[in-house]
Amino acid sequence: MKVRWFGLAVFALLVAAPAGAETLVSTVSSPSIQITSSFDGATLTLFGNIESGTPGVAPVGPFNVIVVVTGPPQDRVARLKTNVFGIWTNTDQVTFRQFPSFYSVLASGKLQSIADPQVLLDQSVFPTDQAMTAVVGKASTKSMEFGAELVRLMTEAGHFVIDEGAVHFLSSTAYVAQVTLPSDVANGGFIAHTIVLDQDRQLVAEGSQNFSVTKTGFENFVFVASRQQPLLYGIVCVLLALGTGWLAGVVFRR
Amino acid sequence: MFVSVAGPRLQIYLPIAELSMNLFFLIGIGGAVGFLSGLFGVGGGFLLTPLLIFSGVPAPVAVASVTSQVAAASTSGALSYYRRGGIDLHLALYLVLASTIGAMAGVATFSVLRAFGQLDLFISVSYLLVLGFFGTVMMTEATRTFLRRRRGLVIREKLPGQHNWIHALPMRIRFKRSRLYISVIPVLAIGVFIGWVGALLGIGGGFILVPALVYLLRVPANVVVGTSLLQVVAMMCVTTILQALTSQSVDILLAFCLMVGGTVGAQFGASAGKYLRGDQLRALLALLVLGVAIRFGLTLVLAPSDPFSTAVLAAGGAG
Repeated sequence: MKVRWFGLAVFALLVAAPAGAETLVSTVSSPSIQITSSFDGATLTLFGNIESGTPGVAPVGPFNVIVVVTGPPQDRVARLKTNVFGIWTNTDQVTFRQFPSFYSVLASGKLQSIADPQVLLDQSVFPTDQAMTAVVGKASTKSMEFGAELVRLMTEAGHFVIDEGAVHFLSSTAYVAQVTLPSDVANGGFIAHTIVLDQDRQLVAEGSQNFSVTKTGFENFVFVASRQQPLLYGIVCVLLALGTGWLAGVVFRR
Repeated sequence: MFVSVAGPRLQIYLPIAELSMNLFFLIGIGGAVGFLSGLFGVGGGFLLTPLLIFSGVPAPVAVASVTSQVAAASTSGALSYYRRGGIDLHLALYLVLASTIGAMAGVATFSVLRAFGQLDLFISVSYLLVLGFFGTVMMTEATRTFLRRRRGLVIREKLPGQHNWIHALPMRIRFKRSRLYISVIPVLAIGVFIGWVGALLGIGGGFILVPALVYLLRVPANVVVGTSLLQVVAMMCVTTILQALTSQSVDILLAFCLMVGGTVGAQFGASAGKYLRGDQLRALLALLVLGVAIRFGLTLVLAPSDPFSTAVLAAGGAG
């Protein structure tokens, strides 16, 4: 009975997946990055293998791979300073809801040459596409301009990266890529979305892995305390200040 | 205790600011500012807050964390004045109560401005006005003293018996140690103003309070610095708790690094201060205050290197 069910399941899979379609097996070097007191950024390795859908038949390469690593979303605002009566002040702003705090595109070659423009568009690979989906209200010339500027600012701050040489093939089907997270990376859940492209620059397989960046130990304790016991936290800060000041006075009086 | 050595660079992760900074840099700027604060008898918040913002610490975290650092830096000074009897506790009590109300208003204003996206402008303009005004006042006073000394005139540091219209206001109270019988209204007004400005700008306000007590209330020189320091300690403690409750942006690790540097630096500054005359110290402090004011003025007037900026409104997801 069991064997028959199993056979049926395999049959269903074979029917569902078109013959010759590739599948992707991928993983990340550590599913959870822990922030400790000496945290100064982290490097994460993403690796995977492209496997043939038909057993016994080697997948037909060569392939190209794009990995898009997206950090936890934040509500952000992009502001423009203009000169009002001789004083430079923020006069215009556009809000972006659920905008990624980190965005890294890793690829095995020039994006335009390894992927069809339509595939790049469908997958929202370019960071400016992220800005357009995050913009509040209707997209306009202004929101597009501010979106592009926001992406530029995030790129300058090291939170948005496009590295077209970051994915390396170990064999014709196995690849490895490294993503660097800056020291001021946002805490929370990250998604690494991998897409595999064939010679015709079309998508043949895709897959996602999750990993998280979390404070741990003392750092986590401090953060949680400041949010859940703000009064107590404030009192501890005050006692620490008074204690340090008093101690310095005592030490230096001798 | 909180750090581990990782190569030559000693980075420390600040859990509330959510970024890592060099430990020596933090203790260093804390120490340098502490030295100046010990030298001039001020908290040094007006230097430390802009320095931190300039170094990449988010403005709310910088303002909130510096308040507790100023409390620490002023504590040892206040204690030594207390032992010498250089504090008018009665006067300090009135100032502290009034400045607590001012601090509450300041923290509330802070939240409103943050929501409107005009916190940067307000902080820059306030720094320019407050520091520019008091820097100019101190400079004028110090220059006048210096010139009189050159001409060989005898300087009266204290102005005994001189009264102005402020003293004639109703609701008079006797402050024994300061030997004053004055209206409580200017005392409370000064307290509220200092509390409001201090909470808003992350400064102790010692450089405002000392001249206000001397020139407006005629508090004698032997109790003015001690009383001012005690008021700064009390108000910064209240502001720290208020910031912890409302903006939740006090970074205890950042504050502690600054405290360690600041309290040690302040001791050396206080020793160095003995080699300088009062008017020389006030002139140097005035230059420093004016320098910071000009720096803020320039950011308002000069074209920014990048007209665009971005800020986080709120974390969208969990965590």
